[in-house]
Parts: sequence; structure tokens; C-alpha cells
Amino acid sequence: MIEVEKLSKIYGSTAAIQDVSFAVEPGEIMGFLGPNGAGKTTTMRILAGYLPATTGTAKVGGFEVHTDSLKARQKIGYLPEIPPLYPEMTIEGFLAFVAKIKGVSAGDRPTRINYALEKCNLLDRRKTLIRKLSKGYRQRVGIAQAIVHDPPVIILDEPTVGLDPKQIIDVRKLIKGLAANHTVILSTHILPEASAICDRVTIIKSGKIVATNKPDNLMTDLQVNTSYDIEVDSNYDRVREILMGIPYLNTVTIANAKAFRDDRLRLLITSEGSHEIGCDISTALVANGIPPYEMRRIQASLEDVFLELTTEDISIIEEISEPVDQLHTESNGDEQE
Amino acid sequence: MKLVWANVLAIYQRELQSYFITPWGYLIAGVFWLISGFFFSILYYNLAAQSILMGSDPNLPPVDYAYELIRTFLRVLGQVVLFILPILSMNLYTEERKRGTLELLATSPITNWAVALAKLSAVVTFFFTILLPIVTYQIFALSGASPAISLEPLLWGYFGLLLLASAILSLGMFISSLTDNTIVAAIVTFGLVLLLSLIDAISNSTTGIVTDIISHISLLKHYENLVQGVVDSSSIVAFVSYILLGIFLTAQSVEAFRFQRS
Repeated sequence: MIEVEKLSKIYGSTAAIQDVSFAVEPGEIMGFLGPNGAGKTTTMRILAGYLPATTGTAKVGGFEVHTDSLKARQKIGYLPEIPPLYPEMTIEGFLAFVAKIKGVSAGDRPTRINYALEKCNLLDRRKTLIRKLSKGYRQRVGIAQAIVHDPPVIILDEPTVGLDPKQIIDVRKLIKGLAANHTVILSTHILPEASAICDRVTIIKSGKIVATNKPDNLMTDLQVNTSYDIEVDSNYDRVREILMGIPYLNTVTIANAKAFRDDRLRLLITSEGSHEIGCDISTALVANGIPPYEMRRIQASLEDVFLELTTEDISIIEEISEPVDQLHTESNGDEQE
Repeated sequence: MKLVWANVLAIYQRELQSYFITPWGYLIAGVFWLISGFFFSILYYNLAAQSILMGSDPNLPPVDYAYELIRTFLRVLGQVVLFILPILSMNLYTEERKRGTLELLATSPITNWAVALAKLSAVVTFFFTILLPIVTYQIFALSGASPAISLEPLLWGYFGLLLLASAILSLGMFISSLTDNTIVAAIVTFGLVLLLSLIDAISNSTTGIVTDIISHISLLKHYENLVQGVVDSSSIVAFVSYILLGIFLTAQSVEAFRFQRS
């Protein structure tokens, strides 16, 4: 449904995006994930026909967005970062206007407007002036205007920004529901969102695509080390001595997190690649008379993958991983109570 | 092609509607009516006094005071609208850019020139609407004149005013498409209007080939011709050229804006 090939956009001497290529199948939800300024919005604007690319081609529904711009635009529903709304209009009036300029025939308009209102939960507010709406409602009107003409392709630039948690859940449900009849591309910098909604995630960094896969595969693909968090009643040197013989074991370090009790030792053990060594660790420890009080596998989250791919400076990862440990400690404290 | 016109109509309706559902349109209309009404009554009483004074002297040639009033008033209106029009045109594109709705229009299956044409038509229609009461009260006020006023020169004069306004609004629309600051758009458009007055002043004061050329591009000169009842196709062509130039430049600037945007 969407085919992008070697798309580049250059402003002066800096490239906003460089050689971006990807394809999205019909009915798929593709998530664009990346830090701010990575080129998500630029890519989406090119697809929507708002910006021309410097080089490369992008086809939407078989039409090239530069050479066949008007036809390609008819295939697209687009929600920009800031929802484009006319504050002096009512929701219904605005949707009628959008339906008109998108070329919905007069006979189909009432049905389409009702469909968009219903999908976005706006039926009870249809006569309200947009000026009087809260941010969450405005965002929903923004989504409604993107789907009102039933486009095969829907492009949503950060659709859940500024919404409260309940609204975020609603909007995610709404987007999931759209996938049946539409192809959706959305951008986000919220990682759980990408793994929750998207069939496929494309991570973009400094204008280049660094990875694209299903959210689950993305983690295994990257061979992020598996690590284990264990708590034992022993000293570091002894435990280290016992464990060093285990195949595929990478490192044994004292964990940042505090142990449940002060006289115990908390360790962080990593294996090479995705080798599972949990069983070996516990067997070795028990055999040596140091049964672990607690043992837990730490799975790389999409967040880790994301940081790995998008952060050059490794120290930033470390800084960020610390609060995670602190959280862990806090949860331990809860158990104590 | 059919879709393009449907789009032009949709944007035209939306624009026009926005003048009538926001206080902005009424405010501009109110100020315009107040100023023009003030000038009309002054001119009316002046001429009435003059006619009484002169009318008693049988040696003077008879003067058509009503017609004189129409012409003088049209000239005054020509000056008054120069102040009103930049305020009407300043919002045309700046608002769209500020609200991000330009992104909606630009990603809809509609060309830039169609958007510009629709916007210009809407603002011209609004201007036409606020002229209507003025024409009406003028006809009422002069209905008792002797000799009876003929409507033709009056209507040509207002047609000229509409063309003058369209040309300025078209250029003002172009200026508003260059910035997202409403005040800047208004000030630059006002500067342009002053330039037009200057061109007119030059064409009136000197003679020579340069002046000839200048008088051809002077909008106010062409307007004066129509007010005088001289209906010349070259005047109409000049106005239409300005209007088309404005639409063309607007479409180009919106396109360029999309190319450059960072």
C-alpha cells in the first residue's frame, strides 16, 4: 500500500532524512519510533504530500506522491502534529468541510461524518464549537478529520500526545480498530505505545532507519544480552568463583539495587547473547550450598532496544538504567511493608 | 476538474461563513459603515447648502448636484477602503498558517491556486456585502433629486470600487501568505496601498512618457476613470491583471513555503 524508496530530504547542508526505504502492507499498522528531530514528521509530511522529497520516490496506493500528487492525496488521511482545526466551526461543520475538500460525494457525506463521529466518540458533541473543546477532544476531532473520507491510508503524527491515560487507551483502541479497513502509519516516541498498537515498528534515528521488525522480534534480533538478577547469602568472590565455570556466562557484577536484607548480596549476571543460563546458575549455587533467595530474568524491553539503537553515547543508557533499579528497590520496600 | 470546482466552492463557503460567525467581520463592517456614513452626510449637507446658494443665481450653468455627490462620495470611498482592505486581507493566510490548517489544505486533493481563488472570492463577496447598504442608502437619499439620478454611472462607479478592492485584496492575500504574523501582513499591505497612492500622485502631477506608463499601472487612476463614467476596457484589463497576479503569486508563495519549510 505504501512503498518508499531511498527517500532523502535535505535542508541546506543538513539531511532531515537520508535514504529512507520501507514498505507497508494493506491493513498493517506501522509505527515510526524515534527521538525528537529524527525525521519522523518529515517522512510523514512527504508521504502526505505536504513536503517534496529532495530525492527518492514514495508511492501511496500506487500513486507517486510527487508526480501524481493530487491522486495520492485522495488516498490519504493525515493528522499533523498540531490538529488542523477551525475554532469557529462546529465539529460537524468542520467534518463536513473536510469531507467536501477531500472529494466525498454529497450523498455519502452524512454517513461518512456519522461514521467518523462515532469512531472517535464525538457523537454527543457534534454541535459544539471546536473553540470550546479540550485538548483531548481536539485530538479526536483531528483523527476524525483524517478518517472522514474513508482513505485507504491513514497517517497519524503523534496521535496520543497531550491526552490523559483514559483517552490514550481509547485512541489506541480506535487506531487498532482502523487497521481492519485501512493501512495506518503512526509516529510516536512512546515505546509501550508502539509495542501495544503496531504490527511493525520502524526505528528511525538521525534521518536513517536503523531497524524495522515486529515489536517482539526487534528485541531478539538485536541480541541484547540476557541478564539475571539474583540475591544470595554469601560473599562476592566465592559466588564469582563458583559461577565463572558456567558456559556462555559473560559477567558477574554487584548490582546497583540494594538487597532485601543488608547482610545479603545482590548480583547482576549477564550471559552472551540470548543464551539462557538461569538453570545452570541456580544448579551451581545450590550444589555449593548457596541457594538463591531470589532470582529473576531481566528481559530487554523495547525501551532498551530503542536506546541501544538511538543513543550513541553509552553512558546515557547507564544513567537511564539506574532509576529502573531504584524502582526495583522501591518495590522491594513495598513488599516489606 | 469537477472536483476542483467543488473544492473551490467548499473553501469559499467556509471562508465566507467565518466572516459572519465571528465578531471580526461585523466589526470591520461597522467601522466601514460608520466612516463612510460620516463622509456621506458631510458631503450631502455641503452640496445641499451649495445648491441652495448657487441655485438662486440664474446666471450660473445648472449643476447636477446628485451626480456630483455620487462621484465625490465614490472618490472618498476609494480612499477609505484603502485603510479597510489591509485589515480584511491580513488574516487570509496568516491564520491558516498559525492554526496549521494550511497543512490540511495542502494535503487535500486541491491545488494552491484553487485555494487562493476561493479565498479571494470569499473576501470579495464579503466586501460586496458590506457595500450593499451603502449603495442602498445612497439611492434612497438621492431618490428625490431633480433631475432624477441615473443608476448607470452609479453602478459603474461601484463596480470600479469592487474591482479596485479585489485587486488590493488579491495583492494583500499574497502578502499574508508570506508571513504568519497578522500585524506584519497588515502593515506591509498598508505600505503597498501607500505605494499605489504615490504612483497615482506621480501620474497626476507630471507629464511625459514615464508618467504615461505609470498612469497605466496606477489602480487609482483606472478607478477614477470608472468613477468619471469613462468605461475603458484597458481599465478592466488592468484590474483583472492585478487580481490574477495576486492569485498567481499567492499560489507560488504557498508552494515555495512548502519547499523551504524546515
